[in-house]
Amino acid sequence: MPAEETPVPKDPADALAAVVALRRLADQLEDAAVEQAMRAGWSWPDVAEALGVTRQAVHKKHSKRLISAGVTLRRRQ
Amino acid sequence: MSAIDHYINAIIVGGGAEALEDGSAAIEAHHLLLAIAAHEGTAAHRVLLAAGLGRQAIREALDREFEHSLSAVGVSVASFDLPEPSRDPKRAPKIGASARLAFERGFAASTGKKDLRPAHLLLGLLDTHIGTVPRALALAGVDRADLMARARETLAHESW
Repeated sequence: MPAEETPVPKDPADALAAVVALRRLADQLEDAAVEQAMRAGWSWPDVAEALGVTRQAVHKKHSKRLISAGVTLRRRQ
Repeated sequence: MSAIDHYINAIIVGGGAEALEDGSAAIEAHHLLLAIAAHEGTAAHRVLLAAGLGRQAIREALDREFEHSLSAVGVSVASFDLPEPSRDPKRAPKIGASARLAFERGFAASTGKKDLRPAHLLLGLLDTHIGTVPRALALAGVDRADLMARARETLAHESW
């Protein structure tokens, strides 16, 4: 959608609910995108750099989930 | 443990499973509502069902609220087509701020621990015009005040 068509919520309740929904969507996207990258053979440091977070943070947040899903993970470098 | 302790525990466990399915790090109020709707044999469950709010109907109402809130800032869920991420089935979501508030309101709706019943917890979830639960119910065309009145009515006449 072009920027000029993007609606701006007038009601604070709608604006605040949009924040909640965007955070949830961002979390869902992060889970899916990190898994997609790791399945494609990306390393933790590369995923961390792409997300702009430390590799410890990305490892802590996603490693258990991916290991239990059977994703073959590259060793941390 | 008393019956209400068992019930609260079951709702937290059920809410945790809902949060896990959502990919949510915390159990929020709407996860508890789903758990209450899935737990049969209570007045709270009967009140929800009579209003057409089975677990699946609530899930759909929540999905609509999510899409509606995103559309307010020009974002469409349908435009993202990444595969469904894997979940860690061993992860135990923590109780989030909205769930904590709902419990506090539910406890406050009763006259004390001996009086506390599932319908009080439902009242605690419904007794706010702010947040995901009232927004989802409004979008589904549910009269929240009427639902609360029905829940209160059961408290006067039903033991559980």
